[in-house]
Amino acid sequence: MISYDECVSEIQTLLAQSHAGGSIVPPESDLIDELGLASLDVMELIEALEDRFDVAFPINELGDVRTIADLARRIQNLT
Amino acid sequence: MSLLQKLDAARDFQDQLGQLGVNAIGATIDVTGSATEGRIEGKRVILAGTNNYLGLTFDPACIEAAAQAVRTHGTGTTGSRLANGTYAGHAALERELSAFLGTRSAIAFTTGYVANVGAISTLAGPGDVIMLDADSHASIYEGAKLSGAEIYRFRHNDPADLDKRLRRLGDRCARTLVIVESLYSMLGDVAPLDQFCEVVKRHGAFLLLDDAHSFGIMGETGRGLAETLGIEDEIDFVTGTFSKSLGSVGGFFASRKHDVAPLRSQIRAYMFTASSTPSVIASTRAALKRVAQGQALRSQLWKNCERVHEGLTSLGFKLGAAPSPVIASLMDSPEQAAAAWQALLDAGVYVNLVVPPGAPKNLSLLRCSLSAAHTDEQVEQIIEGYAAVAQRLFDQPRAAATAYA
Ligand SMILES: Cc1ncc(COP(=O)(O)O)c(C=O)c1O
Repeated sequence: MISYDECVSEIQTLLAQSHAGGSIVPPESDLIDELGLASLDVMELIEALEDRFDVAFPINELGDVRTIADLARRIQNLT
Repeated sequence: MSLLQKLDAARDFQDQLGQLGVNAIGATIDVTGSATEGRIEGKRVILAGTNNYLGLTFDPACIEAAAQAVRTHGTGTTGSRLANGTYAGHAALERELSAFLGTRSAIAFTTGYVANVGAISTLAGPGDVIMLDADSHASIYEGAKLSGAEIYRFRHNDPADLDKRLRRLGDRCARTLVIVESLYSMLGDVAPLDQFCEVVKRHGAFLLLDDAHSFGIMGETGRGLAETLGIEDEIDFVTGTFSKSLGSVGGFFASRKHDVAPLRSQIRAYMFTASSTPSVIASTRAALKRVAQGQALRSQLWKNCERVHEGLTSLGFKLGAAPSPVIASLMDSPEQAAAAWQALLDAGVYVNLVVPPGAPKNLSLLRCSLSAAHTDEQVEQIIEGYAAVAQRLFDQPRAAATAYA
């Protein structure tokens, strides 16, 4: 099982490339309201994480994910 | 967000679209007497943004059948299929559809949207898995959500990605419904259906094909992409619509492998909505006959597709896919797409404007769709319209583009 910290850091790295202009944003950042991801962007972020950790993330659970920390906990539970 | 804040947000969204300066979503079209011509804001236009692939909305036999039915059976059934809404015509259409497709049975629905929602939400349930193409139609997403199954997406038209995701599911594959389309309606790209079949079979999952867009226009007898590929027997379930090549409204759910008829008493979207109006059923039956003998219509359609595809390519438009009845030009921004849409309208050609979030991959598109009913002259006028757009939009003439999205 991978650690929560590892998940957070992977998400931060991916977001730094795509949305945060190279900087590392805190785990409490809201993906949509604060970081400005569109729902398609969230899907793409999740696809990248699924491949990185070889897990399957059901999109039914997207509704429960608001922040980087939420997403990291969900991904961690799947591994 | 409160209920009324949602209204505000929706208004903001409409305002944003309005700022593109065009009335693309609200355009009212007057259609009188022709499948390919209409009036928008008083101006005569060629309709090149419909799904009227075979032009059957004005087929004399279809019109006559509908007119007779409305006189004989009235304007509506005022009831659902399970109550008072099954007339002889509804049952006959289902038999004819089933005979045409070679399926064990077929269920007709009031729209294709409802067919997808009903079929998908009933086939799969809590504890099952639905695996859908990322670019799936809204009705597929809705059906999946309503089913209560776990939902996963795979990358659009990517059998290797599906393979990887099914592998992650392990023995849950036996409870997995994979859903793909044939011809995708926005970019006009075609699914690698034979490869999808192979992957699904290897993992022991089930395949549902939404054949809304290739039904009637592909395959020797118009049975769609699966007929072209010779793999109809491999597909577990098919859904489709009467609102494209058949030129009416309605949808269906059928299968060669399994008898779906018993689901009539389970599918709520079938049981609790009014059945199709008799005239709609009558014109659909007439259209189905035309489809079955529609080789000439299909070859005219594909000739038109080749010609427009070639014309737009040499004008320098970047197109979404190889020639098909949907020819999408990829524009650089929503603003550019809107300006091009308006310029085309000014030149007398109506196409569909598609901007985010409506298009896959956040693309901005001009979606041109062709019909067998477009005459050679109209086809040339469509290309001339695009030539006018190219002149207005591109700073310098562009070389013929070849890559697809
Ligand atoms: C792929 C696909 N499935 C289903 C539908 C729904 O069909 P209908 O217009 O009959 O509701 C459409 C068209 O809107 C479609 O493009």
